[in-house]
Amino acid sequence: MLDTINTGPAQGAAQLGWTGVVRFLHLTPRAFLPMRAADKINLVAGRGIEGDRYMIGNEEGFYSHKPEEGRQVTLFELETLVALKRDAGIVLGPEEHRRNVTVEGVPLNHLVGRRFWLGETLLEATRLSVPCRHIEEITGKAIFDPLINRSGLNCKILQGGVVKVGDIVRNAA
Amino acid sequence: MKARPITTVKTVVTGIEAAGTGIKLLTLADPDRWELPPFKPGAHIDLHLPNGLVRTYSLCNEPADNTRYVIAVKREAEGRGGSRALHDEVGIGDVIGVSLPRGGLEPDARIGRYVFVAGGIGVTPFLSMARHLERAEQAEFTLHLIVREEVPLAAHLGALIERGRVVVHRTSRTGRPDLATLVGEGGSETLVGCCGPEGMTDDFERVTAAWPAANVHIERFVAPPPVIDPDAKPFTLSLARSGTEIQVRAGQTMLAALQEGGIDIATSCCGGICGACKVGWLEGQPVHRDRILSPYERERYLMVCVAGSDTERLVLDL
Repeated sequence: MLDTINTGPAQGAAQLGWTGVVRFLHLTPRAFLPMRAADKINLVAGRGIEGDRYMIGNEEGFYSHKPEEGRQVTLFELETLVALKRDAGIVLGPEEHRRNVTVEGVPLNHLVGRRFWLGETLLEATRLSVPCRHIEEITGKAIFDPLINRSGLNCKILQGGVVKVGDIVRNAA
Repeated sequence: MKARPITTVKTVVTGIEAAGTGIKLLTLADPDRWELPPFKPGAHIDLHLPNGLVRTYSLCNEPADNTRYVIAVKREAEGRGGSRALHDEVGIGDVIGVSLPRGGLEPDARIGRYVFVAGGIGVTPFLSMARHLERAEQAEFTLHLIVREEVPLAAHLGALIERGRVVVHRTSRTGRPDLATLVGEGGSETLVGCCGPEGMTDDFERVTAAWPAANVHIERFVAPPPVIDPDAKPFTLSLARSGTEIQVRAGQTMLAALQEGGIDIATSCCGGICGACKVGWLEGQPVHRDRILSPYERERYLMVCVAGSDTERLVLDL
């Protein structure tokens, strides 16, 4: 029962599902450099984001010595930033978590192994991101512990395209 | 894909400028002129020089000037070799890896008066602070620059000297000024700083000994030894399969010691939760500190990123 999720119709009137939105987009060309905000980014299927440090074939990221297919694009929940401030008094901006796409209304932790649409691009989630000491070193903020189990999602790009702030995020059945 | 992890910020030398006798100003920037990691006024960076030396220099530019790191390097013919390499071997376009910026002054609204005392090239950490404070206009500040005769970085200090923000004391003409007079009365609203040769920083430390520690900022040309947890002890890692022995210094991580010894270990979070660096242990008594191994697993495995040793010798299955 726990190996697959039943995606069939729910009993009665319950509507299962979610729809989210892209709130922020960020990238950086090299390890350690600040993330820069963008209105739109170009996702290349099977490789990554144009100009980002984890674009396969042109990698200059902190973890680039460890090849990983699912690091082509990374996502983070806006709700986590809100919770960090509310519950831990930590102000962490969307440019500081070092994932590429900050979304609202998307249950990232539920999507491992599933496909979903990010604007016009189709992604497949490979694994949850883990927090790392590296991010504490860069931000100077003690965020390792508070980010455990909510530090984002690693995905590969099945179908590329342009992703813009404000784009809809939705399940791909 | 890179075979080795990236451990430094990649910069290229974009400018070299003479700035007084034996002093060069070097400008470092990202290859694409991307913004560099931010820094506080008075911060410093380590330069990983092409010849393998690692040397620390203060950033002279303002934090708001965020696409460049500007450092001033005085050529010390009898020094340990870092300044000679930067003067004699490094040219425009050379790639230099640098650390993330460290140190510097936290902005503090409670401080109403800053007094800095610098000896010669020791003026460098105060340049960015002076520029920052002058722009912020929140507090009064004076930088006392003590030199034998020539003012280092004269072209960059000229305007600050004219405006009275930098006061030059030439010991060849007026002798050494009294540091207690320069810093004046202490208090919670006054912050003083000193950077210069050892004799000067020692004197400064004596003059300000009764001040609250948070209000005194001293930088030395040669970094003091790192502060190590008094309970941390060195230990020896014995690698059962390769027959190698590796020394772990007090306060060093097992991971760093293994990497120094050329042992390739997979790592990811470096905080004891991801499991990437799990290694078997055979003899000794590890101190685990990770947050994923079960008590059963801990009898066989440890996480080299966070684990330590309770015994002088720990045998790993490597």
